[in-house]
Amino acid sequence: MASCRTCRTWRPRVVRLGRLGLTFDANLFRGWLVQESVRFLSQLCSTAPIRALPRRMFVVLMLAGALFIASSSLPYFDFENLPPFAIEKLPVRFESLWLASLRIHVAAALVSFPLCLVLMTRTLQRRVAWHRWMGRATGILVLFALVPSGTVLAMDAKGGTIVTAGFLLSAAIVAWFTVRGVQAARRHNLVSHRRAMLHVVGQMSVAVVSRLMLVGFDIAGFDPDLAYVVALWVPVLGSVALVEWLSLRAARSRSFTSQIVIERTGRELSPLALLVRVRSLVRPNIRPGR
Amino acid sequence: MKPLATRESEQSRFSRVRMPPGERRLRVLQTTASRDKSAREFVPFAIDVRYGGEWRENDIVGCAYLGNGDLYVKRGDAYRPAAILLGKNVEPVAGVCEAPPPPKA
Repeated sequence: MASCRTCRTWRPRVVRLGRLGLTFDANLFRGWLVQESVRFLSQLCSTAPIRALPRRMFVVLMLAGALFIASSSLPYFDFENLPPFAIEKLPVRFESLWLASLRIHVAAALVSFPLCLVLMTRTLQRRVAWHRWMGRATGILVLFALVPSGTVLAMDAKGGTIVTAGFLLSAAIVAWFTVRGVQAARRHNLVSHRRAMLHVVGQMSVAVVSRLMLVGFDIAGFDPDLAYVVALWVPVLGSVALVEWLSLRAARSRSFTSQIVIERTGRELSPLALLVRVRSLVRPNIRPGR
Repeated sequence: MKPLATRESEQSRFSRVRMPPGERRLRVLQTTASRDKSAREFVPFAIDVRYGGEWRENDIVGCAYLGNGDLYVKRGDAYRPAAILLGKNVEPVAGVCEAPPPPKA
């Protein structure tokens, strides 16, 4: 910011935007706008949709799977007859409790899984109040209906101890990371919140993935008992590994601070708003001349 | 077995329910009828199922009463009417499909 008798003294022109406390220097903005916006827009147009494609495909696939499961779960709510899954399992200890748990578990899953998928979308993440309230409802449903009923069902799981262990592990992961995710959200640690909730969604996706695997194994003529075990453990462990890999990759590619910024701005602002230099979210500036 | 096969063909395959077997076969376990405690004649049977190339014996075990045609299948340690395989919520029936022990000499 040099000044001289022949040249105009440079003084920053600070413009404040809205209630988010964003500021930018108008003098710098003109020159920066052309360069940065062209670069950013070209990146946005060329890579952002591609980068978002796997996530969007996952959400669409899981929603479709959830719809299929919902349509095939209607017999569970015919209270005059036994569903095929129950016939296969009989006899069970505490039959009434088991049947009630089955119906609660199916109903809770049919609601909570789509809710979790919708909560993953940027559209809902930008609507903070909606996200919070839907998240609270989903968390309550998961912790107080889905996990307890699933635990009861796991005790009499088809396939014996190894399958029981798999279902209990999945339930433990869902419960642990639901609590951790809520705690992280309350601390405004969106990176940890995202990782925790990805674990929850990953375990819920086991319902769809394992069913797909069972259909595939049946077509291939695999032993159904072995197929049931494999179709449980592979998605359970695979989901954990995939989420951890995604989290590790995100952590390595960016610094922690910028990761928080990017995660927060991605949720709170539309891509267009990212054209404005979000200075106040990164560090406060003491501007000269004030 | 036909109503059972029909029911299985109608259920969704996108489920944790066991997939329908490729084939079933019925085996009658005795050539002569036995009598239960009520002196009713019955014949025990077993149904085997095939997945891929392997047969699994005794997938369903039960008995058929010759007098009235009632069918019972074993679930755990108890016998229930065969309607349970079609989804009917029926209770176990005591004293069926079991011949009393021969009297001691």
